[in-house]
Amino acid sequence: MNIQFKKGVLELCVLSLLTKRDFYGYELVEHISKYINISEGTIYPLLRRFRKEGYVSTYLQESQEGPPRKYYKITEEGLLAFEELLKEWEDFTIGVNNILRGDFVE
Amino acid sequence: MLNRTEYINTLRNGLRGLPENEIMDILYDYEEHFEIGISKGKTEEEIAKELGDPGNIAKAYRVSSTISEAENNPSPKNLFKAVLAAMALGIFNLIMVLGPFLVMVGMLIGLYCISISLIIAGISSCFGTIVAPIFPYSINIGVHPITSISFGIGLASLGLLIGIGTFYLTKLLYQGTIKHLRWNIDIITK
Repeated sequence: MNIQFKKGVLELCVLSLLTKRDFYGYELVEHISKYINISEGTIYPLLRRFRKEGYVSTYLQESQEGPPRKYYKITEEGLLAFEELLKEWEDFTIGVNNILRGDFVE
Repeated sequence: MLNRTEYINTLRNGLRGLPENEIMDILYDYEEHFEIGISKGKTEEEIAKELGDPGNIAKAYRVSSTISEAENNPSPKNLFKAVLAAMALGIFNLIMVLGPFLVMVGMLIGLYCISISLIIAGISSCFGTIVAPIFPYSINIGVHPITSISFGIGLASLGLLIGIGTFYLTKLLYQGTIKHLRWNIDIITK
């Protein structure tokens, strides 16, 4: 799939998952790559950028197995950004579907 | 096929030049990823393959870091660094973008020179008029003192105005370049 397209969608998916609960990086990758084929390493630069932009905050939490995990939590700013992206996405898909499925009127 | 150590080392090498604490922070994420993947029964090679090319990932971090640096600490040096890093990624197209960019930088330098010359000329004109009575034979402007003083003030003000205008243009170019880099990197990094 087109890289630019995929990247925007990945941002939307990550933010969307984070509105449901806090996740650590591996979980996010796992959930998303169940549905979309992504290069998994690219999610970490994205999360880092989100943190710099103030969309997410992080905290470490011990786990039963393995090392402590870095959890990502969405911020107010992140929620706003998510709503904006979601709206763009919905407008976009509605538009595309109209072209694909709608009648062609000259 | 890379194993964990090879993957992390390639990534670390690619990140060279970034602040040490930033490198540690970035590597931590990937170490954690390997750690959890292994505890879920995956092999190191599988995880490395799913993560994708460490060289590309390092480049993405590097460009993004130099751009933030240029944004937070504006200086010609930092901007230049960001442009260079972007060029390494193939973002900052040499002819289409670097050419116009350099032309604009040249024009700004030219405008600054014009501004400074006008201010100097204006000040000299006023100063000359004031000291003319003291050296009646060596300085002879040949116009009425009030004319030459207002002329001087006019020149200096014009120079100052051009200088201020150029300063805002410089800021605009700086921000525009950063925006352009950011926009491009957003598109390029997969």
